Amino acid sequence: MTMSREVARVCGRVWLLPLALFCLLSAGTAFAATLQSAKDAGWIGEKPDGYLGLVRDEAPADVKALVDDVNAKRRAHYGKIAKQQGVPAAEVEKVGGATAIEKTRSGHFVMDQQGRWRRK
Amino acid sequence: MRKGLSMLAVLSIAALALGCTPTVQVQAPDKPIEINMNVNIKHEILVKVEREVEEMFENEELF
Repeated sequence: MTMSREVARVCGRVWLLPLALFCLLSAGTAFAATLQSAKDAGWIGEKPDGYLGLVRDEAPADVKALVDDVNAKRRAHYGKIAKQQGVPAAEVEKVGGATAIEKTRSGHFVMDQQGRWRRK
Repeated sequence: MRKGLSMLAVLSIAALALGCTPTVQVQAPDKPIEINMNVNIKHEILVKVEREVEEMFENEELF
C-alpha cells in the first residue's frame, strides 16, 4: 500500500503540533530541575525555618538556583502574610517550616530540630 | 567421583558459611522527627496565618 504524497507529508509532521504544545505547557520555570525532581533525587529538603535547604553542598547548579529562587519567593510571601496579620515575619516563617515539614512526603528530606537532615 | 563432588560441595558450603559470619548491626532508630512550632502569636491570628501558609504551599512552585 502506498501513501499519497500529501498524506505522507501530514503524517510526517502530525507529531509536531502536540509536541510543541507539550513543550510550551511544561515550561513552567526556566530551570531544568523542578522542586519535585530535586526533592525526589534527595538534593533538597524542608527546614524548620520555612525555607528549602541543600541536603548536600555539591548539588547541581540548576538545583542551587532553584532553591534560591523558591526561597526568595517564599520570603516575599511570608513578609506579605506577616504584614497582613500584624505579626513578625520570623513567626510566619516558623509556621511555614512546621507546615512544610508536616506536608513533606515520606522519603523526602527534612531537617530536624538538631539541624540534621533526615528522610521522613 | 560423585562422592568426591558432593564432598567438595559440602566442604565449600561449610567454608562459605564459616567465612561469611554474619555481623548484624542493629542501630536503634533515631527519635522520631519532632515538629515544634514555638511561636508567640495569639491563637486567632495563628489560625489565620496557618491557613494562609497552607494556601501558599498548595502552589507547586513554592512547595
